[in-house]
Amino acid sequence: MKPSMELPLVLFTILSQTAVGIVLLSGLRRWSLAGGAGQADRREWTAAAALLALGLVFSLFHLGHPLDAVTALKHLSTSWLSREALVFALLAGLMLLAGVQGLPRGIVRLTVAGGLLGLLIQGMTYAPPSFPAINNVLPFVFFLVSAVTLGAGAASLLAPEEARPALVRVLIAGLWAGLGVHLAAPCVWLSGGTVMRLTGQAYLASPLYWAHIVIGLALPLWVVLKSRSIPRWLPFVLLAGALCGRIVFYLETMHTAANMGALY
Amino acid sequence: MAKRLAFLVDAKRCLGCFTCAMACKNQYATEPGVNWREVYPLQADIYPHHERAFYSLACNHCEKPACLEVCPVQAYSKREKDGIVVHHQEKCIGCGNCIRSCPYGAPRYNPVEKRAEKCSLCHERIDAGLQPACVQSCPVAALTLIDLAAGEPDNSVQFPPGYPKMPALNPATRFRQAELPIIHRREDI
Repeated sequence: MKPSMELPLVLFTILSQTAVGIVLLSGLRRWSLAGGAGQADRREWTAAAALLALGLVFSLFHLGHPLDAVTALKHLSTSWLSREALVFALLAGLMLLAGVQGLPRGIVRLTVAGGLLGLLIQGMTYAPPSFPAINNVLPFVFFLVSAVTLGAGAASLLAPEEARPALVRVLIAGLWAGLGVHLAAPCVWLSGGTVMRLTGQAYLASPLYWAHIVIGLALPLWVVLKSRSIPRWLPFVLLAGALCGRIVFYLETMHTAANMGALY
Repeated sequence: MAKRLAFLVDAKRCLGCFTCAMACKNQYATEPGVNWREVYPLQADIYPHHERAFYSLACNHCEKPACLEVCPVQAYSKREKDGIVVHHQEKCIGCGNCIRSCPYGAPRYNPVEKRAEKCSLCHERIDAGLQPACVQSCPVAALTLIDLAAGEPDNSVQFPPGYPKMPALNPATRFRQAELPIIHRREDI
């Protein structure tokens, strides 16, 4: 199997995780607050729906036969990809409905739960036995970190003023967690089996991996810690860093078949 | 009892001549660069001799195939009568999930059809009472068709060095491992 950048999937996963992150943070905020939803809150949810819809459109470009995409819902019994397609399509609808209807509590709770479930399902889709390094909970953890950091960044452009201090705290926590996970994972892989070790070496030798660490995690953390705010340009830096990291995820994670005929 | 057909790869006999891979390619006229069967040389860590040894591999027709499980459009089926995993290309939408998920790299992407494809153990030939094209072509009988339901072949292993160990999938392919030649040195005589 030749590794590929999988750009449509890079865009789909990043946009869908940003959308889930926005509604997770907004939903949790609504949980702790009384009172109705303001215009800014509704704008967040409709923007999240639009981002997710755009991500779903990008995902079609990954298919050899995009017009038959709807048949991907046929194998819900065992295929995580079928489940991913269903859950994210439903989530886009729920986000739009919540935004249009002024964030009714029931739909908000359902969407938040569905968002977490969607991240878990998306993580399982990318954890097949053919990639020993990520045949575990790591894809879900990577995706959760992306959702929290990108979601907090995007929400800072849309959320009401009073929500910004909480978003700063969430972003700081998410970036620390992201730095820890993304720096530790390749180092742990170095002590694994051959394919896992090759994955660790490929990550550590990749300029895009370091671009993700620096541009997507360390630099934003330094800026936010220094200014105790999220500058309006920072979400775009976060996005650029996350794109680099996701390309590495698709391009450098080693497949077992790549080592056929050698010791495992 | 239903059959469980499988390839027996005898690395002791295999010359690495690629006739099996070419026979497969001729049988199905696969696109340039798309090979359902590959001949993998064993690295010196496993077979430290200049004559080299090889594994000729295609689909392993697993008991629990990853491709069948992950395919979102149910383009794969497993025949009950002999365990052959068949890919129904007309259903495939070219998502590549089977290609990513098979630890043995058996499904391949056809860039012209924009769909996946793989070895289906020449099930049409088997139904007609013939041998698979690769098995029939091998000049040294290093590739044979066996029925695991009739018992394990003598001196065979399921997971030799150089082949991913995936017991959860239970691949059907069996191997006879290559042996290093006995070298007679002048001082030994």
